[in-house]
Amino acid sequence: MNNKVDISVEFAGLKLANPVFLASGTCGYADELADFMDLNRLGGFITKSITLKPRKGNPDPRIVETDAGMLNAIGLANIGLERFTKEKLPILRKMSASGTAVFVSAAGETIEEYAAIIERLSEEKAIAGFELNISCPNVKMGGISFGTEPATVEEITETAKKAAGEKILMVKLAPAVTDISAIARAAIDGGADALSLINTFTAMVIDIETARPALANRTGGLSGPAIKPIAVYLVNKVYREAAQKANIPILGMGGIRTASDAIEFMIAGATAVAVGTGNFLEPDCAEKIADGIGKYCVRKKLIKISELVGSLK
Amino acid sequence: MKKANKGQFWGRVCGNKSATGKGQCFYKITLEFEGQAAKAFAKAVPGQFAEIDLSKTSLPAAEKIPEGLKDACKRDIILRRPFSFCDITTKGNKTIVEILYCVVGPASLRMTTLKAGDTVNIIGPLGNGFSIPKDKKTALLVSGGMGSPPLQHLADYLVKNNPKINVLTFAGARTKEHFPFNPKRFTKQKIETIITTDDGSAGLKGFVSEHLERWIEKSGQKESEMIIYACGPEAMLARVAEIANSSNIECQISMERRMACGIGVCQGCAVECRLEGSSETVYKMCCTDGPVFDAKEVVF
Repeated sequence: MNNKVDISVEFAGLKLANPVFLASGTCGYADELADFMDLNRLGGFITKSITLKPRKGNPDPRIVETDAGMLNAIGLANIGLERFTKEKLPILRKMSASGTAVFVSAAGETIEEYAAIIERLSEEKAIAGFELNISCPNVKMGGISFGTEPATVEEITETAKKAAGEKILMVKLAPAVTDISAIARAAIDGGADALSLINTFTAMVIDIETARPALANRTGGLSGPAIKPIAVYLVNKVYREAAQKANIPILGMGGIRTASDAIEFMIAGATAVAVGTGNFLEPDCAEKIADGIGKYCVRKKLIKISELVGSLK
Repeated sequence: MKKANKGQFWGRVCGNKSATGKGQCFYKITLEFEGQAAKAFAKAVPGQFAEIDLSKTSLPAAEKIPEGLKDACKRDIILRRPFSFCDITTKGNKTIVEILYCVVGPASLRMTTLKAGDTVNIIGPLGNGFSIPKDKKTALLVSGGMGSPPLQHLADYLVKNNPKINVLTFAGARTKEHFPFNPKRFTKQKIETIITTDDGSAGLKGFVSEHLERWIEKSGQKESEMIIYACGPEAMLARVAEIANSSNIECQISMERRMACGIGVCQGCAVECRLEGSSETVYKMCCTDGPVFDAKEVVF
């Protein structure tokens, strides 16, 4: 039996060694993970969201474990564009040189802020593209407020795409909207090269002893296995109703911990997948997932992994 | 102290039993490491910690689950749990790590079912431990309740590695039932320990911070020659920091936060800290900037 199945994928014109990414906000800027995994084995990597100016983030408690998941309300805490370019680009350049597609997640309070971050980094060779974070549930301005109105999504995508120049622009979608396909079509019409979905769901945990929310921010984004079946459904919906026709790839995410989870997303229509909360328990799970996908392809006698994408019967 | 190498390792359980001989709440688990893991943990310093995967560890039998944890035990464990060390020793090419823990929720309850021969997945050693300035003559170790393990480790470490420093420990708890160790024996080494309880059921009556303050006043020692190390509930740490800062005694405190990753990627364990020379504050990460902080920088 041939054990060397080709699990490389083409994603928005990029050739990736495998379809597994690390999701923004769960893998820092890569340097933190170097002791725990082989960074060179990643298909893709998405940085923690960067804003123009550093952001302090929300007060503690910022996280809480829930049934089959967790809530986080970090509040886009990050070191800001200046320090990012000085301190973090070197390790990202190394990753990029070894073949990993590096995406920078951009966030802002105004459309101009998104554009300024992207423009500043658009000439950087190590960066394959940008993920437009218009779906963060934990900040009052910007974030999710940009991601829920089709007209706004189209406008911000258009502006960001101009700033990105030759680089790939991926738009990250919020899950809790009336019609996610309408948002996806707006992003595509605005010039998005790829879509990533889903971001976390706004949720709440209450401490019944104190009758207070468990998080200082009161609400947080729900992630982990609890959201996986919803994410699979939404990926399939966006694939069928928007992405497939436009030939725009989907980066699927939401509760992926195993190769089986990843394969489910690919069958639903994702060209590649990202691991988020799963990294916290197993910092090397992306490698294991890539290996597991390979084994599945051998067992199913698939020649190319792309045969899986959207193969839902 | 230099930061040790870290990684994701497997440890073998050598023992796991009640730490005080009475009650079900406090346990001590002994883990044995070989190879790279043994090397990494041998270099760990007091105040560092490790993240343990308890997601696949079974719950005890239904009748052994405390009433107050029955509901919480219905949910799965999604995240690792952070634990400090109460002792680390080397035996040949093996490293033995002791962790003192308290059953507080569904993960620590699962931990009690681990038995000799089981393996556990552990990420560590993580964070920055206590540091030991050369010019100090007296180290005052102040622990409150479940804050004692890293200080027990530090006490032994100081006696072994810095014999010139005089070590005095203050161990406080709410009542005599709330010490995670036998109050007669704070550490393996012979060290003077002042026991305090809020209700006077063991040792001196009152908060551990009050007794620390009185001792400092009476000691007549130079402030610059003393150092305070503290770990315990946040209200106690706030008071100890206040005492240290007002009398200009160097003080290192070990903080506790909920953590998802322990390695600085989730940004979940925020500790509000002052910026030197500014009225602004920043959030530092308990896992990678701490868990040991200078008492002057933390905002309580």
